[in-house]
Amino acid sequence: MNEQLIEELQNIVGPEQVLTSPEDLICYSYDGTFTEHQPDVAVLPASTGEVSAVLKVAYREGIPVVPRGMGSGLAAGSIPFSGGIALSLTRMNRILEIDHANMMVIAQAGVITADLAAAVEAEGLFYPPDPASIKHSTIGGNVAANAGGPRCLKYGVTSDYVMALEVVLADGRVFRTGGKAIKNVTGYNLVQLLVGSEGTLGVVTEVTVKLLVMPEAKRTALVTFPRLADASRAINAVLSAGILPATLELMDETAINCVEDYLHIGLPRETEAILVIETDGDEANARRDIEAVADICRQGGATEVKVAATTAESDELWRARRSVSPSLGQKRPNKLGEDITVPRSAIPEMVARLKEISKKHDLTIVIFGHAGDGNLHPNILFDRRDPEEWERVQQAVGDIFAAAVELGGALSGEHGVGVLKRPYLEMNLGPIAIDVMHSIKKALDPKGILNPGKIFPG
Amino acid sequence: MEAVSTPLSTSTKLFEDEKYLRCIRCGLCSYTCPVYRELLVETEAPRGKVALVRSVGEGQLEPGQNYARKIYHCLQCNICTELCPSKVEIDELMDAARVDLAARGLLPSALGQLGEIIFTCCNISGDDNSHRLIWAENLERPPQGVKPIEQVEIVYFVGCVSSFFPMSYSIPQALVEIMEAAEVSYTLLGVEEWCCGYPLLISGQGDKAEAMIRHNVAQVKASRASRVVVSCPSCYHIWHHTYPQVVEDMGLEVLHDTELLAELIEEGRLRLKEFPETVTYHDPCDLGRKSGLYDPPRRVLQGIPDLRLVEMADSRQNARCCGGGGNLETMDPALSEAIAARRVAQALCTGARYLVSACQQCKRTLAGAARREKARLRVMDITELVARVMVN
Repeated sequence: MNEQLIEELQNIVGPEQVLTSPEDLICYSYDGTFTEHQPDVAVLPASTGEVSAVLKVAYREGIPVVPRGMGSGLAAGSIPFSGGIALSLTRMNRILEIDHANMMVIAQAGVITADLAAAVEAEGLFYPPDPASIKHSTIGGNVAANAGGPRCLKYGVTSDYVMALEVVLADGRVFRTGGKAIKNVTGYNLVQLLVGSEGTLGVVTEVTVKLLVMPEAKRTALVTFPRLADASRAINAVLSAGILPATLELMDETAINCVEDYLHIGLPRETEAILVIETDGDEANARRDIEAVADICRQGGATEVKVAATTAESDELWRARRSVSPSLGQKRPNKLGEDITVPRSAIPEMVARLKEISKKHDLTIVIFGHAGDGNLHPNILFDRRDPEEWERVQQAVGDIFAAAVELGGALSGEHGVGVLKRPYLEMNLGPIAIDVMHSIKKALDPKGILNPGKIFPG
Repeated sequence: MEAVSTPLSTSTKLFEDEKYLRCIRCGLCSYTCPVYRELLVETEAPRGKVALVRSVGEGQLEPGQNYARKIYHCLQCNICTELCPSKVEIDELMDAARVDLAARGLLPSALGQLGEIIFTCCNISGDDNSHRLIWAENLERPPQGVKPIEQVEIVYFVGCVSSFFPMSYSIPQALVEIMEAAEVSYTLLGVEEWCCGYPLLISGQGDKAEAMIRHNVAQVKASRASRVVVSCPSCYHIWHHTYPQVVEDMGLEVLHDTELLAELIEEGRLRLKEFPETVTYHDPCDLGRKSGLYDPPRRVLQGIPDLRLVEMADSRQNARCCGGGGNLETMDPALSEAIAARRVAQALCTGARYLVSACQQCKRTLAGAARREKARLRVMDITELVARVMVN
């Protein structure tokens, strides 16, 4: 990137916010995956106006722009594989308005989701989507990936809550779409197009999400299953009985032990699986539902059901669940976390297939995830420096995706396609759907500068 | 004094052991890193620093001034290390990086100068070391322990900050008042108290600290005391963790003053009057998270009649740094102040009127922030509070 361009960027955001040193480029080369690629420059704007001005320059020059929040994505979605500008939204971190009457909050894209959730909770309101990375992801990043989390089972994903967006297009034009009105079929639903578009259609600078009222009570249970197969069957048994818990999470033996090594909270180390199930609502419902869940689980092979007695105990269980993915780093240097979804009915079969794939390729595959909505996170543990092992990992990934699609599922429930799932996109979507998506991409980003090389193969 | 290579030089073998490989880049450390939360730049996050150390270790990055600046831009508060799910020893990586930088001559000049001062003057201020007892001079009753006493139980190791910086004199003044009221047999080392060595250790110059360590231990042994009491958590940390590695079979019990105070209160050796106020306690990083001493200060506070203790949202192992750690204040005073302001804001959320800590550094930075923010909060050291409520 030549001196003139750097100077032009410096004039927009200020010289301290244009980072070009080798140290800076190293730090903006990675996200939450094991891959990396340096940008040519990292730019940290403080306002939508600055984002717009940066995009204008980039569009004029045909420079790739890769937006990022806290860079914790799990699909390489914010890694600048084509160089160019790593556009960090972290300085745009103000909560602009908590609207009680409409029960909505407006936040800049760089607000950390945990901070947003805490801010609204302090005012008696509730932002349900709770991705495991809630403390290390931004609301803008969550929108880009349509982030999920355990509570999606009952409450839905990020897209179910986004009411409006402020977006900067590839050419620098700024527009707002959606609004605070609950029903809106005025023109195309661009909000839902943009949510989950992984920074390839526009840069989101501001997000309006709707909120609920905090449920009066909740009950969190840790359910121990000596057999993984029983655990996976119990999931459907609970849901078919007409109970909709807030969460229904699965952790296998490896996941349990990694977390226990890290937190030492007394999880059962010698069992094949646990389910972490939370019910909420008014006091009577929460209690009645968890008791019904406990009965069904016991009938289905659970040997122990422990219901958290205090909020602190419940928080501890959730910290444990959120720690699964990062705690896997204790075992092998690298992990490839997949995010496949299957219809609920196919969960037991998918779990069985994962076990077979693990044996077939002689790889450790840790199984955990949002089993209640069929979204599992098989994590393959390996060492990237071993080319032979990496080859087996890629084969295993192919088998996992093939199995998910064969069972009627999809490649990604909440992490996005990024780069890592690109090669398998056509298998999942088919050529016509991809062609339609391509057309949209070309319409909004004719020069192809917004996060190039993501989502679409080739 | 000649600097020699000792177990104090954290091995840069950590580069060879590739311990940075454990980092899977989840980014959780950024949420709690006080430096990252102010600056919002990835190089200021622990994850970024680990990536930089890895780049140096893998030969991808040649260390220079910019790299040095980033590595030293850290409070060394260890909250990242505490909660890393992958158990990356970020603290050890940062120590190794600093030793490596010092060896390459890339130590920031302010820290290099500090090292020289400590090495030559035996204290951090550059003042004549015989001025260590000035704080004791203007007391109503000169402390008994100033004159060397035979067969004393405790050596009170005051520490450089409280000895040379008038704003912190009140802490040793309070502690000697308490010890005398409780008839504790103690002595001070005066000019023979040399810097504990901690500032050298944390800036990558630990090899210069050996002579200091040996001298301090020898002086304590000469007094025939079996216990060393310190007020400063950094003194506590190095005395407790590092001194026994340098001096084998040291044979001394090292206590922080909060442990002594808890003992005295629980043994009924101090009479305390009521203090019907709401108090919150700030865990100093070197005492709490890095040394595991959370309960003694709380036992002290709960031993004061009618005192109501409320905890901040982030306390004990999750306590947020006051901004005074890691020599960051030397490198970036404005950042240190901003971090202190955040901690004061957390204290205010508790509704407490008093913010008590057990560290002269924490007291200074938090008091400064409270003043700047015009916060209705009295900031005190725990020794000052106990001295205040003591019945004579």
